[in-house]
Amino acid sequence: MSAPLLRIDNLSGGYADFQALFGVSFDLHAGEALALIGANGAGKSTLLKTIVGLLPCAPQMVAHHGDQIGGLSADRIVRRGIALVPEGRRLFRSLSVEENLIIGGERGRAGEWSLERVYALFPILREKRHEPATSLSGGQQQMVAIGRALMANPEIILFDEISLGLAPAIIKDIYAALPAITRTGVSAILVEQDVTRALGFAQSFVCLQEGRVSLAGKPADHSRADIVAAYFGSH
Amino acid sequence: MDWLNAIVQGVLLGGLYALFAAGLSLIFGVMRLVNIAHGDFIVLGSYLALVVVQSLGLNPFVAALIVVPLMAALGYVLQRVLLNPTLGKDLLAPLLVTFGLSIIIQNGLLTLFTADSRRIMAGGIETASVSIGALNLGVLPLAMFATALAVILGLEFIFTRTSLGRAFRATSDDAEIAKLMALDNRHIYAMAMALSAAIVALAGIFLAVRTNFDPSTGPMRLIFGFEAVIIGGLGSLWGTLAGGVVLGVAQTLGALIDPGYQVLAGHLVFFLILIFRPRGLFPRMDG
Repeated sequence: MSAPLLRIDNLSGGYADFQALFGVSFDLHAGEALALIGANGAGKSTLLKTIVGLLPCAPQMVAHHGDQIGGLSADRIVRRGIALVPEGRRLFRSLSVEENLIIGGERGRAGEWSLERVYALFPILREKRHEPATSLSGGQQQMVAIGRALMANPEIILFDEISLGLAPAIIKDIYAALPAITRTGVSAILVEQDVTRALGFAQSFVCLQEGRVSLAGKPADHSRADIVAAYFGSH
Repeated sequence: MDWLNAIVQGVLLGGLYALFAAGLSLIFGVMRLVNIAHGDFIVLGSYLALVVVQSLGLNPFVAALIVVPLMAALGYVLQRVLLNPTLGKDLLAPLLVTFGLSIIIQNGLLTLFTADSRRIMAGGIETASVSIGALNLGVLPLAMFATALAVILGLEFIFTRTSLGRAFRATSDDAEIAKLMALDNRHIYAMAMALSAAIVALAGIFLAVRTNFDPSTGPMRLIFGFEAVIIGGLGSLWGTLAGGVVLGVAQTLGALIDPGYQVLAGHLVFFLILIFRPRGLFPRMDG
């Protein structure tokens, strides 16, 4: 059997003075969208940052196509085809919308995502392409952040709280664009506060509780009550 | 007429100060590093030019073809080996390291070249002049100013039009997210230092042709560079040129009143600007 696209194997880690993750394991398969759910402080964002190399971990804890990539520098991991849409969007404020997109693609992999494809997915960005990225509305900035990650033509895209701080109507627009992204064969890990929305989008899920996997599987295989218990902890 | 002449000379001198300041401003902008050794780098560039001119018998401006790449390479290596590990949340570490570098360079030059003051001869260009109306303009100051203009235009082009410039701005905005654009910060910072050192080399050559220098002249160049950057406003390239010009004009006007007032007049204008426009003449809008 071939190695999974991405294997998280007994991953422990966090910040220098604070361990946030304790032996987390799961697999992400090619073409799959996986929802990573859990309460605030469960370690979801920390896990994404560790996968992408912004936080340290041991080499064997993350495997991409069977290659150990845990703890590689972020720039090398991105070049392998793993991109992060960071929490809070974090666009480059000195760069225009178009420059933010270009810089996302310049050192990435070759593939079908280009400025044209991103503008086709989010037409409003073409209109605003010469404006400073941080002058846009929150929803539009989120589109830039997603486009910036896509420009690297990732094999795996990690979405960290892409609905945070946005109006419900805008969230709907953003989520409406996600199938167009995964349809191209990109696998995704989605961190989301809104469990219903996340489970509706993903084929599988992992629930974290205080840095440990409390439940994992396919959304249909677990009752709502099980998931709620895994989310908040049952005492 | 004396006044007009002094102002024009001051503007041209401002070109040299802008050259001192541009490299300083560049690395502060990209990596928030205050390079205390910047002035000593300039003097190091002067000595390097002296060695090349004396050993190969070249005109100093031809020698730039050797000195500029050499200094750029030195800047790149210095950043990767010594300065990158000091960068982080703490601003004090790089400050102390560059302060140490400043002392090492001064004493190294003292050991190699003694404390004798030196000068590079450039085959008459240093005394040549052209007359425009009643004004007598030195060819060397004109060349300094033209070079400063070219450097600022070049930096502007690099920052706004090239991939490297986008990488500089992105890394300056958010170094962590820049890594997610597959940028290697260590390389980007080293490229910024290399570019800064290339400008420093030009400044060093002009300094050496224009005036006497010795191993202890660096810190004063650092001060002039700092003053030009602050007067112009941090983060603004054209502000840096304007800052150099304001400083240059203040100094030549001061010297007109009394030669002893030259440097003092520059400092006074700097303080006045700090009091009334603490963010400089052309601050960056987003601060």
